[in-house]
Amino acid sequence: MAEVLTVKELTAGYRGRIVVRGIDLSLHRGDMVGLLGANGSGKSTFIRAITGQIPLIGGSVAIDDIDLAAAPERAKAGFGLAIEPHELPAPLSGRQYIELVASIRGCAPNDLPSGDLLERLDLGRWIDRPIAEYSLGTRAKIAIVAALLGRPPLLIFDETLNGLDPVAAWEVKRVITALCASGRHAAIVSTHVVEAVPALCNRAVLMAEGSLSRSWDAAQLAEAGRAPGVFEESVMRALRMRAAA
Amino acid sequence: MRHDRLVLILLWRELVAGLRATRRRDLAWIALGGGGLLAYAIADIVVALHAAGPKLRHDQLLWTLGLPITFAVLGCLAGNAMSRLCLSRAFAPFLKALPLASAERRRMAEVGAFALGLPLTLVFATAVGFACVVIGKPLAPAWGLGAATLFALSFGTAAFWRLRRPRLLVDAAASEATPVGRPWLRRLDRARPSWLSSWAWKLPAGHIRASWKLAAASLLLGVAAILGAWVSLAGRTAGPAAVAGLAGGILVFMLSLRCQPLGSPVLRTAPIGFTRVWLRLVRLPLQLSLAFFLLPAGAALAAEPSAWSVPVASGLWLLVLNGAYAVFGAYFLNAPFVAMLSFAGALAYAGYETLEYGRTVLIGLAALAFFLWHRTRQRYRNG
Repeated sequence: MAEVLTVKELTAGYRGRIVVRGIDLSLHRGDMVGLLGANGSGKSTFIRAITGQIPLIGGSVAIDDIDLAAAPERAKAGFGLAIEPHELPAPLSGRQYIELVASIRGCAPNDLPSGDLLERLDLGRWIDRPIAEYSLGTRAKIAIVAALLGRPPLLIFDETLNGLDPVAAWEVKRVITALCASGRHAAIVSTHVVEAVPALCNRAVLMAEGSLSRSWDAAQLAEAGRAPGVFEESVMRALRMRAAA
Repeated sequence: MRHDRLVLILLWRELVAGLRATRRRDLAWIALGGGGLLAYAIADIVVALHAAGPKLRHDQLLWTLGLPITFAVLGCLAGNAMSRLCLSRAFAPFLKALPLASAERRRMAEVGAFALGLPLTLVFATAVGFACVVIGKPLAPAWGLGAATLFALSFGTAAFWRLRRPRLLVDAAASEATPVGRPWLRRLDRARPSWLSSWAWKLPAGHIRASWKLAAASLLLGVAAILGAWVSLAGRTAGPAAVAGLAGGILVFMLSLRCQPLGSPVLRTAPIGFTRVWLRLVRLPLQLSLAFFLLPAGAALAAEPSAWSVPVASGLWLLVLNGAYAVFGAYFLNAPFVAMLSFAGALAYAGYETLEYGRTVLIGLAALAFFLWHRTRQRYRNG
């Protein structure tokens, strides 16, 4: 299957200070990768680097075979990123924000994986109010809806699923799983909820001190997810080994 | 009181963090380039003052009216800016949950404003005293002291007025009712990307709220346009209306241009380039500016049809100046006031040097605008 994301020898950071180094990662359509790691391990920096928010110090990123550095606008059309809730345009209403993103992506504001997604996420009564009035969870919902607009091949969620209420979290997981299962999309879900990864993802990678320290393929993840606590134990063991090294 | 110096500590930490976050190479550029430029500017001013000394010493209107008004206005502006800065830190969101009463926070802001005002006043007194020595004005220290007193008084009055305004002590946005209905700006603001201007102007859900500031600005600009047109029509000369159209047009553009969406990941991670977003942000302010320009320009043409080149040239200059300011506005995306000051400063300096070196200085201004545009574009693409 074609690669949706190809990351080669990625090194990135802030103002010359390297935060993540030497990362190789590739995602195919159908992949749903759980990105794990402690605070400060470099997860958000990695996501900022692959979404073109910070310059690469070394290596390359290609989205749908389009080099991010060479053709940033074309490459960015290949992913939908759920913006962090505090970065949403607070004066706009939820509907206006969706219209803004749709107008940029060149799709209709209702071009979503599920026609009734707004209702399923209980956004109906909030959609015409300014985002400034939203709670953290409601902001996360609108960020996720915007990421799904136009159904881009790569979906990226940076801890956005953590702030959702149980119903919304279940709905969003259902939508993302269905998209990835269709074989036309891939997703990266950065999360601290380790126990949720085996149920949601078919691959997982662990970041520690700015590099990928361990990865789990579909079979390993399925095996680890069979009994409660096994995957968490495996992650903790990897983290302890890394700390001891 | 325990928290009195909290605002100052916060500002100091921000300054240190800002310096630490700046690359050494950039710091060196700022220190060497900025220092060199400042030294050149001071030397230039000293030479100019020295040359104009005899004339300046005996200009009664300047010493009795011009300078006192200037000192008072500068004091007011500085007092307003410093107290706003301190208030924003004293009422910072992360301090909201702390058990600090409003009066206590206001006191923290007062202490901060006073501490910042003191060195400013000293610098002001030294500068005025030194200028008086350069031009040979008798009693130079007394003039410095007098200027400092006037500056301090107006600084204190403006700071006191700003710090006592209760509107700033509560979250005004939260207490206002949510707007309902369809925002009328929809038609103007639906070009790709939709709602960008509403976002830039921070209109809640795209609704324009009536305010005394908006009403006063509209009234003043309207009166200026009508006055300019009337003077031209009455005198049968195109000049006054063309100048009013140019000055008012650039003012409207500067007041209405806001570029903070350029810094947002919403746009920076989206498949849209810098130039397109920048042009889109400039679009509505440019339309407003040209709309203002039309009345005085039409009056200028009607007053003196043979001098049609005057309003045409005025319109072209308006476009050039709007374009240059659009670059400054985008570069200082989160600080429109700093953008206005920098632009006005750059224009004034270019105008002053043009007297000495001719119009080649304008090439320098164009190069500066291009450099700022390039840096802003790089920042949009790479953070």
